[in-house]
Amino acid sequence: MDKDSLKGLERLNQLALTPQQVDDTLAFFQLRQAEWDALAGIDTSDVERMVHVAPMETVVREDVVSEPFDRDELLEGAPDAMDGYWQVPYVLE
Amino acid sequence: MASNEIIMGMAASTLGTPVADASDLTLGPSGTAYETVIGLEVHVELATKSKLFCSCANESGAEQNTHVCPACCGMPGMLPVTNKRVVELGMTAGMMLHCHINRTTTFDKKSYYYPDLPCSYQVTQWFAPICVNGSVHIETSKGGKDIRIKQIHMEEDAGKLVHSAWTNTTMVDFNRTSVPLCEIVSQPDMRSAEDVVAYLERLRALLRFAKVSECRFERGTMRCDVNLSVRPAGSDALGVRTEMKNMNSISAIERAIAYEVKRHIDAIETGSEELVQETRGWDDEKGVSFSMRNKETAADYRYFPDPNIMPVVIDDAWYASVEAALPDFPEVVRARYIDELGLSEYDADILSGSRACSDVFNAAYAVCGQAKETANWIISNCLGFLNRKQLTADELDIDGTALGKLIKLVADGTVSSANAKRILAALFDGETDPEAYAKRSGLIIGEGADDLVPGVIAKVLAANAADVEAYRGGREKALQPLIGKCMKELRGNCDPKALRQQIIDAINAG
Amino acid sequence: MYIALDDLILTKDLPTTGGSLMLKGYYSPFDAEVATRLTGAGHEITCKAAVGEFACDLLGETNFMGPTVDVDGNLCGGDIMVLMNNDAEAVVGLDVNGTPRRSAAVSNHICLKTSYGIVSRYGTIPLACSGESVYVTGVTSATCQDVLESIAGHDPKDGTSLPQERCVAAATPGEVPATVGVCRSLVEAAGPDVQARIQKVIAKLEARGVRVEWVDDSMLLAAKPAWNILMPAELCNNVSRYDGVKYGYRSQDYETIDELYTNSRTEAFGDVLKTVILFGSDVLFTHNYLAKYDRAMRMRRLVVERFQELFAQYDALLMPACSKLAFTPADVEADKFIAFQENLFTAPASISGLPALVAMGVQFMGPHGSDANLLRLSASLGACAWKEV
Repeated sequence: MDKDSLKGLERLNQLALTPQQVDDTLAFFQLRQAEWDALAGIDTSDVERMVHVAPMETVVREDVVSEPFDRDELLEGAPDAMDGYWQVPYVLE
Repeated sequence: MASNEIIMGMAASTLGTPVADASDLTLGPSGTAYETVIGLEVHVELATKSKLFCSCANESGAEQNTHVCPACCGMPGMLPVTNKRVVELGMTAGMMLHCHINRTTTFDKKSYYYPDLPCSYQVTQWFAPICVNGSVHIETSKGGKDIRIKQIHMEEDAGKLVHSAWTNTTMVDFNRTSVPLCEIVSQPDMRSAEDVVAYLERLRALLRFAKVSECRFERGTMRCDVNLSVRPAGSDALGVRTEMKNMNSISAIERAIAYEVKRHIDAIETGSEELVQETRGWDDEKGVSFSMRNKETAADYRYFPDPNIMPVVIDDAWYASVEAALPDFPEVVRARYIDELGLSEYDADILSGSRACSDVFNAAYAVCGQAKETANWIISNCLGFLNRKQLTADELDIDGTALGKLIKLVADGTVSSANAKRILAALFDGETDPEAYAKRSGLIIGEGADDLVPGVIAKVLAANAADVEAYRGGREKALQPLIGKCMKELRGNCDPKALRQQIIDAINAG
Repeated sequence: MYIALDDLILTKDLPTTGGSLMLKGYYSPFDAEVATRLTGAGHEITCKAAVGEFACDLLGETNFMGPTVDVDGNLCGGDIMVLMNNDAEAVVGLDVNGTPRRSAAVSNHICLKTSYGIVSRYGTIPLACSGESVYVTGVTSATCQDVLESIAGHDPKDGTSLPQERCVAAATPGEVPATVGVCRSLVEAAGPDVQARIQKVIAKLEARGVRVEWVDDSMLLAAKPAWNILMPAELCNNVSRYDGVKYGYRSQDYETIDELYTNSRTEAFGDVLKTVILFGSDVLFTHNYLAKYDRAMRMRRLVVERFQELFAQYDALLMPACSKLAFTPADVEADKFIAFQENLFTAPASISGLPALVAMGVQFMGPHGSDANLLRLSASLGACAWKEV
């Protein structure tokens, strides 16, 4: 991981780091890489990945509509709302 | 017992591509013939009552943000729980398109930022889509061919943005967020706009027939992205591919394809612009495509399995129940109407053209046993009724059994055909018992009317002596106004043939 | 009982900040299931306990209001502060990266991180969903048992919630663990005060007739590197919804939507969180996915299988909860990412979804569903926050 790639990550995650934060982050990446590399001796090629620690199958719900939430309540904490919409700067599509 | 192995759709590069028909080739300015290679990604909104991962209503046209909960507007804390009906419609779509159904299917997160995506990720299927490797048969002027389906996967829709130039803001409506979609990805087997239109129409017919989706472009319940490239005729390699979005109708898609093919060929031959792999929007008003590329490199979507959603395992019993609920294919229904029921091709086309019509026809026919009558009732009367209200055949919503009963009532002579049309109107209002309705409204022939008839005839003859004399004098036609007036008095509650005879008898007697 | 909820548990009547400026003053439109069940069982929710920003840190020091420090100048979790101030008898919250367990260890309290799936996560701020689970911290084992019984149970609103029988079984005391394996490598990785504490606890166990043996836990050491990949990746994805658009903090300084996103998140998030976000997104990149996130999921299976082998021989395992029994602000100043070293001891339980109980400054683990049995163990050892070990 280098500063240029990190810039790409910042953009993707909508963040802007200070130079100090960049240095600290690069150091963090290195530590994590080192501790991960230390496990290189463990062969996982024949090990099935485990997505769920308490696995179940087919957890589904019936196609039923529930009581709607109150729009005013949902919009109460909105930084900018208008006419029942959340509002943001003009987005060119 | 089917294998639980997850199968992925075949990669385009491993396929032998179908050979182009000479008439599908386009000539460039240099005289070189080019073949157009097209693959489609079609999104259809599934016909469920609730959304994919929350229980908000799946209903279009509602006021903004009235079908929204904390989950589908990006607030923390609510967890996704999969809508069972979505899986069933995904299976149904796969079966209609002859796909292999993956018996274990999972959901994954796809990350990117856009204001219509409240969580900044979309839950879709990347690692184990529900259906793979199917096909759709199309017929065009060049003959018939199969368009292969690479995969079908389930995913959530995003919200809607409303742009307001005068406030210089964009407004966000999350009603559509998490509405369930099936994305149907074809192999690049299409070679012309004609192929594309045939494919889309066939897809639409099948999915509507199976009630998977209403598939209406103008309502956004069917959307299509076109992946297009060109190559010199005879070449095996694929050219630079562009993806086009925002075509709002099938005819817009045709225009977009024509434009883009020309743009590709011009770029290749004259170097007028650089052809890059990118996403382009279509401006139907101006008739041009435009680049939608971001200044940065294409985003990495960072797919990973959603830890909150358990794998959906489709066992034999569930698979069988969905298979059992599949409708016959429309062409099978059409053939049966013609071969077994003796209907004309014209009638069979219309009745098998929409699930609504064929369902109503089948139910009505099961009750009254009269194929031609039932066909007429639906095609002339019902569709006429819908037409006047500017509705399509797909929106036929009457009880087919009730229609069958009504047709029987007319055949029995219990109700006159004039009054039957009134009862039909009631069926459109939701009436399911035509006989009860007729009784309530006094439309049954002969119900108490037998007593009334002689009196009415006498009254009308007395008041219309001139017509009576004319008839006695040999003018057959003079009978007609007498019949008409009696019918009016009796409010149509009589058998016209019997009435005619009774009037003649009365005239002869007196 | 008076119960506090930590600030990762969403409530309608009290704000839930997740420890971040991003959610300062955020009122959830709905209550967490644990809150509903606690009040339904007759308990009263008194207040919220401060947490580190989205639970990434050592002992809550990255909370946007600053660290919580006790009278001795040591770092103290926000949940422990609530208990020490007598604002509640127990705290219920979400254990994402082991902070609640560390808090309990350094303050001699009892903390049970429940088995994954037996307590509903509906209404918890989602962070590392594949492993995080609800915890309860109290002064005695009996307090924790009482709360456990109130909150364990199946919830159809949580797609990872286990069937009711399993939830009830986990909350029902069974046999007290009679055999305990002591994790050799983890103990050796801790400092002298913790090692001495481990010895004291071993002595107490043996005095009560428990068979204690040292075990080879080397595979369990893989839990930290693997969790340090899975947890940041999931967390990064789960906090991407905090974008200044719908609720919470929005920057005053923006013209375009891009600037709105970037400035809001940059101003509202602390630096530890930012680093974790960037690292988490990197391990999910297409060119990294197989070697990082995917391999970490396989490593998880190896850890879980090793636990299964160990729990076939021992009713419980004993290990440190952290490397020392007190941390100061200076420790964090020296390394602000210290949590990503300390979670060597807490990641095995986080990544496997197994229950973990901290008492007397050390950590016990048991097989899935042994939550109430672990509490019986700590009770039998006389663990109590006011009693010196």
